[in-house]
Amino acid sequence: MDTAESSSTSKKIQVQRYKPDDNPEKHYLNEETGLWSWLTTVDHKKIGIMFLGAITFFFFVGGIMALLVRTELWTPAKTFIEANTYNQLFTLHGAIMIFLFLVPSVPAALGNFILPLQLGAKDVAFPRLNLLSFYLYLTGAGIAIFSILNGGIDTGWTFYTPYSSTTGGAVTTMVFGVFVIGFSSILTGVNFITTIHKMRAPGLTWDKLPLFCWGLYATSIIQILATPVLAITLALVGMERILGIGIFDPAMGGDPVLFQHFFWFYSHPAVYIMIVPGFGVVSEIITTFSRKHIFGYWAIALSSLAIAFIGFLVWGHHMFVSGQASLASMVFSFLTFLVGIPTGIKMFNWTATLYKGSIDLKSPLLYIFGFFFLFLVGGLTGIVLGSIALDVHLHDTYYVVAHFHFVMVGGMVMAFLAGLHYWWPKITGRMYNETMAKIACGIIFVGFNVTFLPQFVMGSQGMPRRYFNYIEQFQPFHQVSTIGSFILGLGFLMVFYYLVKSLFGGQKATANPWGSRAMEWQINTRPPLHNFHHIPVIINGPYDYHKPMEEFQLGLAESPTDGHGQESDLEVTSDGKEINAE
Amino acid sequence: MSGHHISTDKTLLGVAAALLMLTILTVGVNYIHIPAPWNIITAMGIAVVKAGLVALFFMNLYWDERFNSILLVAGLAFFGLLVGLTLLDTLFRANVMPAF
Amino acid sequence: MADHSSSTTHSRFFQHHFVDAEQQFQTAKMGMWIFLVTEILMFGGLFAAYIVFRLWYPDLFTQASTELNTFWGGVNTVVLIGSSLTVAMAIKSAQLNQKKNIAINLGITLALAAVFMVIKYFEWTHKFELGIFPGQFYDFGGIAHEKANVFFSLYYLMTGLHGIHVLIGMGLMGWLLWRSLKNHFDSEYYTPIEITGLYWHLVDIIWIFLFPLFYLIE
Ligand code: HEM
Ligand SMILES: [Cu+2]
Repeated sequence: MDTAESSSTSKKIQVQRYKPDDNPEKHYLNEETGLWSWLTTVDHKKIGIMFLGAITFFFFVGGIMALLVRTELWTPAKTFIEANTYNQLFTLHGAIMIFLFLVPSVPAALGNFILPLQLGAKDVAFPRLNLLSFYLYLTGAGIAIFSILNGGIDTGWTFYTPYSSTTGGAVTTMVFGVFVIGFSSILTGVNFITTIHKMRAPGLTWDKLPLFCWGLYATSIIQILATPVLAITLALVGMERILGIGIFDPAMGGDPVLFQHFFWFYSHPAVYIMIVPGFGVVSEIITTFSRKHIFGYWAIALSSLAIAFIGFLVWGHHMFVSGQASLASMVFSFLTFLVGIPTGIKMFNWTATLYKGSIDLKSPLLYIFGFFFLFLVGGLTGIVLGSIALDVHLHDTYYVVAHFHFVMVGGMVMAFLAGLHYWWPKITGRMYNETMAKIACGIIFVGFNVTFLPQFVMGSQGMPRRYFNYIEQFQPFHQVSTIGSFILGLGFLMVFYYLVKSLFGGQKATANPWGSRAMEWQINTRPPLHNFHHIPVIINGPYDYHKPMEEFQLGLAESPTDGHGQESDLEVTSDGKEINAE
Repeated sequence: MSGHHISTDKTLLGVAAALLMLTILTVGVNYIHIPAPWNIITAMGIAVVKAGLVALFFMNLYWDERFNSILLVAGLAFFGLLVGLTLLDTLFRANVMPAF
Repeated sequence: MADHSSSTTHSRFFQHHFVDAEQQFQTAKMGMWIFLVTEILMFGGLFAAYIVFRLWYPDLFTQASTELNTFWGGVNTVVLIGSSLTVAMAIKSAQLNQKKNIAINLGITLALAAVFMVIKYFEWTHKFELGIFPGQFYDFGGIAHEKANVFFSLYYLMTGLHGIHVLIGMGLMGWLLWRSLKNHFDSEYYTPIEITGLYWHLVDIIWIFLFPLFYLIE
C-alpha cells in the first residue's frame, strides 16, 4: 500500500547522508526555461508560484476596491461614487478576496510548493490535474472579470436569493465563474488528500507528518465535501435566473431560506478552508523559531480535523434572523460554541510551545504573533455572534464585518504573510530585508487595528453593513477606519516592495537559513527540478529539535556503482532507533 | 496490499441478475400500494441494497483498500448532515415559506 | 490473482514521480474515489432540495409522478445496470489480458449509454409536447397542484444533471475504446478503464435512486 509502510519490515536499510547545497547551479527555475515551459509545466513548485502570482494580483485588485469603498464612506452621504457603483464595489471586493485570493492563498500557492517537499515526494499525486486546477482558476477569474465589465454584480459575495435571482447585471455569468473556480478548489483538494495518503517518503508515518500537512489535509477534506454543494447551489441560482425553476425564488414557489442553507453549508466550512491552512503555517513557524518540539502534536493535528468536522454543523448561525425554525437556531447556536474548543486547544498548545523555547524573533514569527492577537479577537467575537440573542442585535452590522476581518485578514492573511516570509528563501533563493519586514509587520498590525476596532464599536451601536449612507453619529468611526485602511494598504505595499526587491540582488539564501528540522529545509535552496536527488528516509519527526541536524538529512543509499556524492554510510534499523556511522 | 482483484464471470453476472430482480421487485411493490410511509421506505431500502451491490462488487469495494470505503461512507454521511440539519429548520418552521 | 507490485518492467504509461506501477494504480483509484465523494455531494444538493419539498408537499409528488412513464424509467434502469455489467467485464478482460474483449465490452457500454440517452430524449420531448416545461415555462393544466412546476423543475434538474454525467461518461467510454483499439491496455496497465468504471458505476447508482424517487410514487 503506502510506500511509508514498507519501512516497517524488519529488514535493515542502508541510508546515507545528503547535505543540501546552498546555491546549486541547477535548480527548478533554470532547468527548464522559457514562457512555454511555465505554461505547460506540471511541476508543483512552478504551479505554486503561478498561483502565488495570480493571487497577489487579485489581492491588489480586491484591495483597491476596498480602499474605494472605505473612501466613499468618508462622509455620511455620497462622497465620490454612485450608490450603485458602491454596491458593485463591495460585492466584488468580497467575491475577489474570498474566491480568488483567500481560498487558494495558502493551499494552492504555498501548499503546492511545500507539501510534496515536506512529504519527500517528487511531485503531487496528479501533476496534470494540478495544472488543470490552475487553468480552471484562471478561467473562472476571467469569467468573473467579464461579468464585472458586462453589467457588474451587486448582490454581495453571498448571492442571496431572491435578490440575486431577480436583480439585473451579470449575476448569471458571475455565478458560473465562481462555479468554475470551485472546481479548481475541488481538484486541489482531491490532489492533496491523495498525495498525503500515497506519496509519503519511506518512514514518514502519520505521527511524523508535519502539522502543515495536517492542516492542508483537513482543508482538503472541507474542500471536497463542501465545495460541490456550493457548485450546485450556484448552478441553481443560475437556473433560477434562466428558467425560473422555483427552488429558491418565492415568486415561483421556492424557498429563499433553502438557498441560505445550501450556501452556508459551503460557506461556513469555507471559512475554515480560509483559516485551517493558516493554522498549519503557525505550527511550522512557531517550532522553528522557538527551537522546540511542538507541544501537543496530536492535539494540534486532530483539532484541525475536529474543526473541519464541527465546521459542517454550525452553518445555521448565519441564519438566526432569516426565518428559520427556532429549534434549528437553538441547535446551531449550541453547536457553534463547540468550535471554540478545538480552536482553543490550538491556541494553548502554541503558547505552550513558545514557553521556555529559545525564541528567535525573526519576521515570520513576528507575523505569527500578530496572528495570535488578531485571531484571538476574531474567534472570541465569533462566539459572541454565535449567541442567538446577541446576534439578533448584531447581525448584518459592522460588528460582523469586524469579526470576519479579524479572522480572515488578522488571522489568515497574517498567517499567509508569515508563511510567505518563512518559505521565501526556499522558493526564491533570496533573503529579504529583515528590518523592513519587521517594520511592515508593525504597520500592518497598527493599520489593521485602526481600521477594524472602530467597526466593532459602531456595529454594536447599530451601524448596518453594506450601506451607502449612514447617520452622522457614525462619521468619526468611519473616518478613523478609512485612515486605518490606508495605513494597512501602505503596509501591504511595503511587503510587496521589499519582497520583489529581494529578487533583484537580495542576499543569497542558504539551504536552511532558519535551522529548521523540517524536510523542505533539508534539500537545496532552490530545490532541484524533481525535489530530491535521492529517496529521503524519515527517522525523526519534523520537530525533533533535540536531535542533531545530520539525522534529518538521510536518504536511501544509492548503489555504490553510481557515484553520487557520498559522505558517510549510515545504517539504520527498522524502528529507526539506532544509527551508526561507518 | 493485496494485488488487484479479478472478479469471475459468475460474480459479475450474479450481481447483475440480482440487480435486475431487485428492479423488478421495486416496480412490482409499487403496484401493491403499501401505505405511506412504508412505500417510500421499501423503495429506498431496495435502492440502497442495489447501490450496495454495485459498490461492493462492481466497484470492488469488497476487496479494496478500506480507505476507499471510508470515503464513500463519509460522502454519504456529510450528505446526511446537509439533509438532517436542513430538515431541522424546514420541518419545524412556524410558516413553511417565511413571509417577507 | 495478479500482484504487480513487484513488477520492474515499466509500462510506457508509467509516470516517474511514482515508485512503481502499483503505487500509480492505487493512487489513481483513490483520487477517483475522492472525486466521487464530490459528485455525491454535488448531487446531494439536489437530493436535499427534493427531500425538503417532498416532505412539504407529499401530495404534489404523488400527483405529478403519474405523468412519468414507469415502464420507460424501468427500461432505462435495466439499460444502465447492463452497462455497469459490461464495464466491469471490460476491466476483467483487461486484467486477463483479453484485449479484444476490452474493446467489445466498452463498445457495448457505449451503445447502452446511447440507448439510455435516446429514451431520455423521447421522455423529455414527450413532456415538452404536453407543455410540461421546466420552471416558469411550465404550461400544463393536468395536475391540480399550485406547485406542480417545482416538481418538474426538480425532475428536469436531477435527470438533466444525471444525463450530463451520462454524456460525459460516453465521451470517456469513446476515448477508452479508441485507446483500447490502439492496444494501450493490458493486464499491466488498465488504470483509465478502472477509474472510468468507478465513475460509471456511480452514475448508475445515482439513477438507481432517481428511478424510485420520481417514477415509483403511488
Ligand atoms: C470561533 C470560531 C468562529 C465563530 C464562533 C464564528 C461565528 C460567526 C457567526 C455567528 C457569524 C454570523 C454573524 C451574522 O451574520 O450575524 C459569523 C460570520 C462570519 N464569519 Fe465567523 N466565526 C468563527 C470563525 C470564523 C473564521 C475562522 C472565519 C474566516 C476565516 C470566519 C468568517 C466569517 C465571515 C466571512 C462571516 C460573515 C459572512 C457574511 O455574512 O458575509 N469566522 N461568524
Ligand atoms: Cu459561520
